[in-house]
Amino acid sequence: MRISKKILVTMIVPLLAVFLFASEGLAQKKGFDDKEIRIGSWSPQTGPAAPWGATSRGAKLLFDIVNEQGGIHGRQLRLFIRDDQYNPSQTMAGVRDLVDRQGVLAFVGGVGTAPALAVRRYLAQNKIPLVSVMTGAEHLNFPHNPWLWALWPLYDDDASVMAKFLVEKKKFKKIGMLYQNDDYGLDPLAGVQRRLKTYNMELAIAVPVEPIERDLSSQISRLKAAGVEAVIGYVAPTQAAIALRSSVAIGFRPQWIHSYNLTDFSLMNHITDGLWAKEGVMTTAFTEDILDFKIPKMKEYADAAKRLAPGERWGIFYAAGITAGEPLVQALKQVGRDLSPEALVRELNNINNFQGIGPRVTWTATNHLPPAEFRIWQCGPKGEVIVLQDWTKNDLPKKR
Amino acid sequence: MPFGQLLIDGLAMGACYGLFGLAVVIIYKTSDVINFAAGEMAMFSTFVAFHVLNIFGYPFWMAFIAALAFAALLGVLVDYFFLRPAKNPTLLGLIVITIGAQMLLAGLASWKWGAEQKQFSIPVSYSVTYEPITGFIISQWALAVFITAIVIVSFMFVFFKYTKMGTAMRATQQNKHAAKIMGIKTDRVFAFAWGFSSVIGATTALLLSAKTILDPGFMMEPFLRAFAAAVLGGLMSIPGVLLGGFIMGLIENFFGYVWPSWKPITAFVVIVLVLCVRPSGLFAKHYVKKV
Repeated sequence: MRISKKILVTMIVPLLAVFLFASEGLAQKKGFDDKEIRIGSWSPQTGPAAPWGATSRGAKLLFDIVNEQGGIHGRQLRLFIRDDQYNPSQTMAGVRDLVDRQGVLAFVGGVGTAPALAVRRYLAQNKIPLVSVMTGAEHLNFPHNPWLWALWPLYDDDASVMAKFLVEKKKFKKIGMLYQNDDYGLDPLAGVQRRLKTYNMELAIAVPVEPIERDLSSQISRLKAAGVEAVIGYVAPTQAAIALRSSVAIGFRPQWIHSYNLTDFSLMNHITDGLWAKEGVMTTAFTEDILDFKIPKMKEYADAAKRLAPGERWGIFYAAGITAGEPLVQALKQVGRDLSPEALVRELNNINNFQGIGPRVTWTATNHLPPAEFRIWQCGPKGEVIVLQDWTKNDLPKKR
Repeated sequence: MPFGQLLIDGLAMGACYGLFGLAVVIIYKTSDVINFAAGEMAMFSTFVAFHVLNIFGYPFWMAFIAALAFAALLGVLVDYFFLRPAKNPTLLGLIVITIGAQMLLAGLASWKWGAEQKQFSIPVSYSVTYEPITGFIISQWALAVFITAIVIVSFMFVFFKYTKMGTAMRATQQNKHAAKIMGIKTDRVFAFAWGFSSVIGATTALLLSAKTILDPGFMMEPFLRAFAAAVLGGLMSIPGVLLGGFIMGLIENFFGYVWPSWKPITAFVVIVLVLCVRPSGLFAKHYVKKV
């Protein structure tokens, strides 16, 4: 009899606990009150992709600056960052925790295609806006998602502008491509091919790289054997650095041009022993130069970073977090004191020609696509930014 | 096909896989444990060299010695604090402990040095190259790898054949209990094996960091390849492991050139096929179940 009682208690206690927690989870908490607005963000703070985690901390800096200036219509901004280690299952856990238990009005940033894909439906079901999601992968934006506003330009557009520049301005005839063998590399591969077709050209060679690869000797030998004059790179910073080192090691010195994700010249120059500058590597860019302190906003943010987050490096990912947060802050300002999720959505859809330190953004109720304007930069001899081509819109977007 | 280039690059990376495979095998040979923390132990020691070189500003040779000394100490400490306290451990239990050590070291490195990539140079450069025969470009880095591999393997040959500790390690590997009865202090042998393995791992990681990029995850992939090379060569055979590394490097480079999309898995497919035919690896004499 005593044993059966024990069993009964053992079964009832966890069931009761589950019930209590579940009942809390079912009632979604409000993401704001009279004093504060709660915003969520996920990014890898630990693990191999951790450098990208600076984006969430950049958004936090922006919120801290806004709070220093009195907040938005009397409310302070509070950012909750969840470390997902770039693992979609952990992204889901973190996002659910923030939505169900903490209560957030919106999410800002959010790094990575796979993590964003994992949570986009859940956020839409719960009517939580996901603002400035940090991936340019195409299928996140199609079909139109009324709860997702994109700021990261589509890789397809980026690569198309890059290819046009190489052919029209630099007159290269033999172009190769080194691309990451997933959406990050396959979308731009299609963009480059479509652009080259308009000149009756084809890629001389396209060589895939897996994200975890650390030895790229055979890929570089293949590019060299194809005799390409320029290589479009769509790989992560580590692979880009290894590729450059490997090509120099075998005396292969084409013109390298990389995606806008590799515009941190200071970091890239550092980890390539100065080769990034020596070889004059080019990149596209969709933000202002983060070291151009003649831009008042840039100086304000960099000074604030020194004061409020002295441990942070003023790098491109950190600044990208600020870029992601700016349209959200603008929309919250436009809402006024009568805040509600519906009002926030209305004002996000009214973001018109807004520009902070990032690109010009226009969102409407039916168009949440990111900007398609880019600049072309080159790493100068001292690691500085040389603007080779100013803002240029992709005039050959993919028909969708 | 640039045959000479692919051959040299494949052999150089293969030598790195082989050397790192030796670090795995030394522990396996003495205690039957596969050390899944080998990559992170080597990474941590490389960060120590980075710290001494870039933060303290000491010359490279001092950073190198400091890293190797630290690696030896780290190996002994992992054995002493992680493996020895386990009471009546099963083999699986010990392997799980090494996975725990791996996670701990990865977390510590990220906390101490951050997750961003670091610049780390060694005196031998990948951009200084020689072309003794047309089409065979060899960099200073590749030369350093070959010389290091020859030195380490020669040292291991002499060590296992002619030294007392080498003989004790071989005896412990063959029968731990009999070795104890014969007066061999097996705890010391295990501690030495961990330290020795950690030093070889750190040496390889120092070389690899110059070819790739230093960050807390930089030894993850080389460890997998080295482990595969060790399995391919036969986990009990030291020359076999080195040859397994060379085969791995060459397969990767040649197949990677012809079918780049298949590069990451080609070597593993070959290993599966080889193991179907020879389960104890290419160069191990035969599989012996120790009782």
